[in-house]
Amino acid sequence: MATATTQVKRNYPPGDVAIWIFIMAELAVFAIFFAAYAFARSNNVEMFNISQQTLDTNVALLNTLALITSSYFVVRAVASIREGKSELCMRWLIAAIFMGFVFLVLKSGEYVRHYGEGTNMRTNLFYMFYFSMTFFHFMHVIMGMVILAAVAVKAKQGGYSAGDHTGVETGASYWHMVDLVWLILFPLTYVMR
Amino acid sequence: MKSDKTITKQRYAIRPCTVIYIALMGLTFITWMIGKAGLSGLDISLLVLALALFKGLLIGDYFMGLRYVTGFWRLPILIWIFLTGGLITWAFLIST
Repeated sequence: MATATTQVKRNYPPGDVAIWIFIMAELAVFAIFFAAYAFARSNNVEMFNISQQTLDTNVALLNTLALITSSYFVVRAVASIREGKSELCMRWLIAAIFMGFVFLVLKSGEYVRHYGEGTNMRTNLFYMFYFSMTFFHFMHVIMGMVILAAVAVKAKQGGYSAGDHTGVETGASYWHMVDLVWLILFPLTYVMR
Repeated sequence: MKSDKTITKQRYAIRPCTVIYIALMGLTFITWMIGKAGLSGLDISLLVLALALFKGLLIGDYFMGLRYVTGFWRLPILIWIFLTGGLITWAFLIST
């Protein structure tokens, strides 16, 4: 059974506008990375395809699921604080941070495996892009986890309310950007050939 | 000047974000299965890219909350998705 409720249509995105300017800058950098990868591949298709097949698609799947789940938890955290539930918001954020940690562990495992196989950025052009893009993203995941942790601590201290939770929305927007980038990075480097 | 207008929406037993989450997981599995099957070629690559871009739109609209935003701030994520997708498509089309 559906019940009618209201939703504000607004001229500004959730969170601080400053984070959106930062997000736009970050996305521009990743767009350049993706385009550079794709155009570099256009002249080295066979080498890229062969190198791509050495990557572990199963781990990439788990990493993608971890980030999507983490983003979903952040959405629930924002929904919780909009209802004035600080404690619940904090718990969703901790769950999101945990999924980010899962991503880092799995991705680190991949890097260790590559290192063990003697593969690195100097191996060929594909790996130069692969390591550059995924590690750049890896650093963003860490940054996002730090932001979410800071927001969780403030939520725990009762620093947000149903009427004042810009900080939660700001952290959430950054984290979704990290997820958005991976959703392109995963198929581009692991699947498209 | 900031002006908000109120619209009416429906609230259901299952939150829209949960439906979107399930859809994102399902689309991810499809992408993974294509990869595991070793499918390749321009058409397959563009299909996989289209799935990824659609997932990006879902993230922007439902997770970032941009479906409730009007005007300029509705555009950056949309432009990024279509620009990035366009550049990748172009590069794959000219692949030799």
